[in-house]
Amino acid sequence: MADDGWRIWQCGICGDLYDEAAGMPDQGIPPGTRLEDLPDTWICPMCGSPKGVFIPYEG
Amino acid sequence: MDNLKIPVDLVAPIFSPAAYGNRDKIHEIFTTLRRDYPLSIAEVPGFDPHWIVTKYDDLREITRQDDKFLSSVRSKTLVSQAAEAFIRDFTGGTPNVFKTLVNMDEPEHTDYRNVTAQHFMPQSVATLEPLIRKIAKRYADKLASMAPACDFAWDLGFHYPLEVIMTIIGVPEEDHAMMLRLTQWVFNYTDPELGRPGADPSDLSEVAKTWMIAFLEFKDYYDRMVEDRLACPREDIATVLAHGKVNGCPMENVALISYFAIASTAGHDTTAASTSMAMWKLAEDPTLLERLQENPKLIPGFVEEAIRWATPIQIFVRSAAEDYVLRGRQIKKGDLLYLSYVSANRDEDIFDEPFAFKPERSPNRHVGFGYGGHICLGQHLGRMEMRIFWEEVIPRLKSVEMAGEGRMAQAETVSGPKHVPIRFEMT
Repeated sequence: MADDGWRIWQCGICGDLYDEAAGMPDQGIPPGTRLEDLPDTWICPMCGSPKGVFIPYEG
Repeated sequence: MDNLKIPVDLVAPIFSPAAYGNRDKIHEIFTTLRRDYPLSIAEVPGFDPHWIVTKYDDLREITRQDDKFLSSVRSKTLVSQAAEAFIRDFTGGTPNVFKTLVNMDEPEHTDYRNVTAQHFMPQSVATLEPLIRKIAKRYADKLASMAPACDFAWDLGFHYPLEVIMTIIGVPEEDHAMMLRLTQWVFNYTDPELGRPGADPSDLSEVAKTWMIAFLEFKDYYDRMVEDRLACPREDIATVLAHGKVNGCPMENVALISYFAIASTAGHDTTAASTSMAMWKLAEDPTLLERLQENPKLIPGFVEEAIRWATPIQIFVRSAAEDYVLRGRQIKKGDLLYLSYVSANRDEDIFDEPFAFKPERSPNRHVGFGYGGHICLGQHLGRMEMRIFWEEVIPRLKSVEMAGEGRMAQAETVSGPKHVPIRFEMT
């Protein structure tokens, strides 16, 4: 999936990860959904922070 | 609305540290409140009025809006009017003895959080796994050496997370017992076994007196450690804090000492509570051990459920920065809100069978570590400590059952089991 340019993002507050390739099916977000395509109202499922605090993951 | 105010007889116990020693009773009260008074006012003599926030969704709505529900202008913990006056007198006007991340608002909170935040992200915490596994193996051996019986909470539960966090901070082993004693004074100030000798549980100002004494002891200890680390940096959190800068300047002393104090207290007592609660549940339900041994991949879920079940951080208090409507209630600027994490983690509208202990629960989005910008900085460390401990213990535990009555500490803010007597066999 990395060849497709999917990225992993990390919440700068709680450290939770958002993997674009995997999406979040239990949140109704299908695999292959880019962070930028999530609605602006989307919040980190772990801590409730806005998507703006997510930064590229360098694990 | 006829349920705007909660009858005092019903709600008064949740203002009493002693009442939290009986979790069944506390759950009984909150179950009634969630049903009949989900967001109502408590007017308990000796305390300012508080909105009692019992519902998971309400607690999350409040705690993700740090600009609207403040942490610094009133006491973040539950205090009587007398205790708050005592604290303001001691501090020169501020409502909290300690100035920790817990008691800060933005932008100061994020500025201070960022001093250590990277060290507690999952990828940083993962590098500690070899160190923590070594400690966990030693405690698993210690547990085995105590067979066929021990008081798990007292003999081991308090000590394993203590050693982990103290090692990470850089506190030498000979001082660990002193740190445990101060922690227990702070969080269990009215508990007859754990509180400060001489503490008066009937004194509504006792929390303020004990916390002032503890603060001064932490200051005496950590001022010397900061001086040492400034002169001689090491690979530990003490060095990170000693050299930490906020907006290019050293941290103010009260905040620096408080940073050390919160790491030295909440950094282990909460994990101890969840670990001892996990053993309590294992000892009550023999099928649980079987399920975990048959499927070790359940261990992370077991840890998560133990945290939800224990909910070591039971209460925080926020004050409204502005008028706000929640659940149809008009909250006014300045109102106090008593956030019950214990209640939110048993909310029937969120958790299927909330009073059943289910490691298989998924997702398990409890608020045991809080929510919003103030979510526990050490959550990943705490989870990893517990997972590693149970990975070491579960395969060796042949049987376990309660050997007496388990008992909770008497404390309203941070609390957990203080006695978990077990009979067990271990290889």
